Amino acid sequence: MADNSLHEAELKLFVESVRNYFKTTTHQEPQITSAYLATGDVEGHDFNGVVTFSGSYKGHVTVSMPPQLLRELLLLQKENDLSEGNLLDAVGEIANTLAGNARQGLGAGLDISVPAKLRGHAGLRARVRKHPCVITLRWNHQPALVVVDMERRA
Amino acid sequence: MRLLIVDDSNMIRSRISRVVQQGGIADLSLVGMARNGAEAVRIARASQPDVVTMDLTMPEMDGVECIEHLLRLNPKLNILVVSALSDKSTAIAALKKGARGFVGKPFSDDELKMALLDVMEAR
Repeated sequence: MADNSLHEAELKLFVESVRNYFKTTTHQEPQITSAYLATGDVEGHDFNGVVTFSGSYKGHVTVSMPPQLLRELLLLQKENDLSEGNLLDAVGEIANTLAGNARQGLGAGLDISVPAKLRGHAGLRARVRKHPCVITLRWNHQPALVVVDMERRA
Repeated sequence: MRLLIVDDSNMIRSRISRVVQQGGIADLSLVGMARNGAEAVRIARASQPDVVTMDLTMPEMDGVECIEHLLRLNPKLNILVVSALSDKSTAIAALKKGARGFVGKPFSDDELKMALLDVMEAR
């Protein structure tokens, strides 16, 4: 029972963080298309930002986005450098922001790493939980997803 | 006044730079941008900024350690923390270290501009 409630709380926390990120940055809220517990590898997009949690929780949050979405986000911020390096930087920064914002709900005992940035849409594999939380969304006709693979330390 | 921007994200460094340079904050000119705390200390020694925007989670030297180093160089430095670690305890910890303001990520251009103006006036 306690484990199930943790799933729901984490999902709500990250769903609200995602909504707030797009609302503040673009003035346009994303459509959250689903939120579920994955039963296998998750099919991601081409650009991925991964932040690792330690301290009171362990695990990872991964933000996975296609290049077109990242280009539009950068253009809205008046950024003209749309190189691959800058797209990776952007997805890493978004992962960092979502993870950092999570401390408001998960407590100051949560430590977060600098983001790792990865190119490639190979399946995102759960490393901590058997069934990581997956949030899929659509913003400005572009899909994206956030995978929350974390658990509270005993 | 002279501004140094410290953040490991190029997207954020460019964004803050644009808000300052195109948003027209009078009397504030950009003198440097650093990708981590160690680089910020090196640039600060050379460019002697009056105002710094400071990320907290960075490689090599994080923001909290960097604040201590920068304030040893110039105790009157006006530091605005700009961080995704937007919980109250992080903000309080940064202010205790000597920062004079805090803006959580994600931020709007107006939020950043107002916070920068507040920090500049706090001198």
